Amino acid sequence: MNDTSSRNGKYFDIDEILIEEELVPVVFHKSANGVKVDPSAEKDCVDEGAKVELPFWLSQELYLRQAVSINVPACFNQKTRREIQADAANVDLRSRCPYFYEFGCKIAPIVGDRTIGKMLLSTFQMRYKDILTKAHTAAYAVASKFLAVLTKEETNLYEAAQSSMAAFKKWRIGGPRIQRASVLGRKRKPID
Amino acid sequence: MGDDLDPTILGPSCLRISKGKEMHGRLGSRLVKELASGEKGQLTHFNDELLNEVIKECSENFLALQSLIRKMQEEGLDFQTTRNADHYGALINHLSLIRNKRCLMAYVYNRAEMIQNLAWTVGLRLFELPEEIQEKLSHLEKDYFKRHSAALESYMSKVDLNLNVDMVPPKDPYIKVRVLDDLGEGIVVSDKAANFARHSMHFLKRTDAEPYISRGLMEELTG
Repeated sequence: MNDTSSRNGKYFDIDEILIEEELVPVVFHKSANGVKVDPSAEKDCVDEGAKVELPFWLSQELYLRQAVSINVPACFNQKTRREIQADAANVDLRSRCPYFYEFGCKIAPIVGDRTIGKMLLSTFQMRYKDILTKAHTAAYAVASKFLAVLTKEETNLYEAAQSSMAAFKKWRIGGPRIQRASVLGRKRKPID
Repeated sequence: MGDDLDPTILGPSCLRISKGKEMHGRLGSRLVKELASGEKGQLTHFNDELLNEVIKECSENFLALQSLIRKMQEEGLDFQTTRNADHYGALINHLSLIRNKRCLMAYVYNRAEMIQNLAWTVGLRLFELPEEIQEKLSHLEKDYFKRHSAALESYMSKVDLNLNVDMVPPKDPYIKVRVLDDLGEGIVVSDKAANFARHSMHFLKRTDAEPYISRGLMEELTG
């Protein structure tokens, strides 16, 4: 059986695995025995026509074998889109889908909705500037509130912006070359 | 996961799958979430319990898969080409198993990378690692750490080069450091014994100080 993720070298990638754990609403075209997939079914089986939410890794493979059809996940529905159009920067994307963009890219080709790609791009464009600006200006107390609505991809961008600024400052001012190994964490024993 | 087991040795009781609220194939992702939830590149406690549960689920999938195939064979169907409910059941069990396997592998692999990193940046001996890190490693991981360190050490002695020091040549071979923890007496650096009491400051050879700095026991003073 093909595993697309092992071919592009992301087999061990944590984010890649978690993106594919996102749920997708599907409708079964075939029935299947001996599986715990449909929570409403009484026995360990799923019937033809059953509507179930399955993680992406399973939905995709079943879709490729024409065993299910896939619907657009709730995080890309019209309600979310309208909210994004109204005020993109303040929409809580994280609670809708922590991997909004990457998941969108994976789901778009199989649901056959051509508007998803465009919507992802425009959403990112509208939020991008705000994220970079806030990475440099927001005070710590405000930042944690702001960070709570960012997706994983956006959080990475935010952190990259901050660490590049920190690296720039260090380059200009200078400082110790060697520091405590980052694997040990930032926590220090309290000095008594 | 083996595929060499003879399906005929398993009785019909294997058709029963243990009941649970959650669908199968999703347990493994909880292990991966544990990796993601911690701060970047930092170890959490090795989760033996969850790991074994995932492995157990893999075995359950495997048994269910086998009994479904056996059922098809008993009905005289060719399980390579038949597309009935048993086929799709077997397929879903197979995919769940593969998925959990991937999660298990990712858990162990990503941790192994962090453990290698410890050997490179903190110290080559297990006792040089802070206790709170040692606690987080499983027995096998400690073994892995020791072997990786030993391999690294033997390579470094072969090429006669210390590879785990700072790659940028220092402007001054000596640096000023402050001791952050009570290291006490009895530590010998460059053939001289010194009293490294907490908060005391010293002028040390950079290469002598580096391991203490990376372990967070000293800090470099600049300016």
